[in-house]
Amino acid sequence: MASQGTEKALALLRRLPRVSLGNLKPNPGAVKSARRGRGIYGGKTHGAGSKGSGQRQNFMRLGFETGNTPFYLRFPYQNYYKGHHMRLSYAPLCMGKLQRMIDTSRLRTDVPVDITQLSATQLFSINPMEKMGGIMLKDEGIDHFQATLNLEVQWATEAVIASVERNGGTITVAYYDPISLQAALNPMAFFKRGVAIPRRMLPPQNLIDYYSDPKNRGYLADPTEVARERFVLAQKYGYELPDIRSSPNQEMLLERKDPRQIFYGLQPGWVVNLEDKVILKPTDPELLEHYAS
Amino acid sequence: MLLSRPNILRSLGRTVAPCRSLHNTAWLWCFRSAVSLDKIYPESDLDLTKPQQIPKTKGHNFSGYVPMDKVQVTYSRSSGPGGQNVNKINTKVDLRFHLASAEWLSPELKEKLATKHKTSITSDGFLVIRSDKTRSQQLNLAEAMDKLRHLIYTAAFVPPPPAVEDIERARRSHC
Repeated sequence: MASQGTEKALALLRRLPRVSLGNLKPNPGAVKSARRGRGIYGGKTHGAGSKGSGQRQNFMRLGFETGNTPFYLRFPYQNYYKGHHMRLSYAPLCMGKLQRMIDTSRLRTDVPVDITQLSATQLFSINPMEKMGGIMLKDEGIDHFQATLNLEVQWATEAVIASVERNGGTITVAYYDPISLQAALNPMAFFKRGVAIPRRMLPPQNLIDYYSDPKNRGYLADPTEVARERFVLAQKYGYELPDIRSSPNQEMLLERKDPRQIFYGLQPGWVVNLEDKVILKPTDPELLEHYAS
Repeated sequence: MLLSRPNILRSLGRTVAPCRSLHNTAWLWCFRSAVSLDKIYPESDLDLTKPQQIPKTKGHNFSGYVPMDKVQVTYSRSSGPGGQNVNKINTKVDLRFHLASAEWLSPELKEKLATKHKTSITSDGFLVIRSDKTRSQQLNLAEAMDKLRHLIYTAAFVPPPPAVEDIERARRSHC
C-alpha cells in the first residue's frame, strides 16, 4: 500500500485545479530582486560590499587573475582536439575476446548479437553521455574466430568483416543516437521508466556516408549491393563465401532491425509494462503516424 | 487453405503492416518506418543472399576471379623474430595450383605466366606463392591472393602499340 504522504499527494492531485501560469508562484527566497538596495536595511553599502572593484563599479573581466597570466591564456590551441566535442568514441572489442565470450557461454549465438546482447555480458562500460557511440570490433584475434553469428556493432574494419563472413555469419554496422543507445544498453531499466520506446535517430552528417556504404556493411546500405561486396571481399581475402540460404540458421542470420527500431520485436511507441507483463500500443492515428515516420 | 495477405490483415486487425523479409521466402511480421530499406531502395530486391555472377576470363583479359576450391592453401610457421607467437602460430601461407590444368585461366594467360613467371613455378608445374608478411594468417592469405592477381595481371599486360608520332620521331632520330 502507498504511504500516507503518497495518499495525501494523490488526494491533492485529484481536487486541485489544473496547473497554469495563473496559479504558479516561486518558493520564498528563490527569486532575488535585481534592484539596488535602498533604505534602512538596503542602505550604507547598498548591496555593493566594501571597497575594491565591486564597490567602485570597475569590475575585473571574467577570468582575470589580478595580473598573472590567466588559466585560459596559459595554454596554446592544439589541433589534435579540434572538434573533439563532436567526435564519438567506441568501446573496443577484439575478435579473440568475442570468441572467448562465446566459448565460455557468456554470449548467446542462437540469437542476433547486437549492442543489447553484448552489453548484457557486463564486460563493457559504455556511457552514451560521454560521447560513446557503442562497440567497435578490432582486428586482433581474427584467426581464432570461428563462430557463426549475426552481429550488429557500431564500427568494424574490413578484416573483421571478412573473418565474420568466412565463418558463415553476417555483420552489420548500425548507428544508435545517445537516447536510443542508453535504452539499448539496459532495456530493463528503460522499461521500468514506463516511457514509450523512442524512434532511433538517423546518423549525423559526418557518419551517414559510413553507414550507407555497402563496403562497411552499413545498416542503411542496399542489401543487394552488400551481397556483391560480400562476394568481392571473399575473393580479396581468399575464402569461399558460405551459402546462407542452405544454412540451418538462415532466418536468424538474416534478421534485421528497421533503421528506426531499437529492440528486436518491439516498435517505437510501445510501452512495455514489466509488472503486469503487458505491452501497451498506441491506437491514435497521429501517434501511429509519428512513430512510423 | 492458405491465408492471403489482405485476409490476414482483416482477421487479426493488427496495427503492424506485414513486410517482405530480406530473403523473400516467408511473410514475417515486422515494423516498417518511413526510412526502412524498402523505402530508401524501392527498386532493389533487398536480397543479402543474392547469388553473384562469376566474371569470365577470356584471352588476355583476366577477370580477377580466383576459384578457391581450385587452389591449394597450406599454413606453416613463419620465420623471423616474434618469440612464442611466431614459434607456435601457423601464419605463413603457401598458395599453389597446377598451372597447366587450371581451367579458370585461359590458354593465352597460362602460356604468358609460364614464360614470364617461370621462377615461381616448380618442376612439377605448380605455381607457388608464399606470404608471411603479417602476424595474421588471414591477412597473409589476402596478401598471397593479391600477389597471385598481380602475377597474372603483369603477365597478361600487353603494351600498347607505339603511337604514330613516336614511330616518326624514332625514324627521324636514327637518320
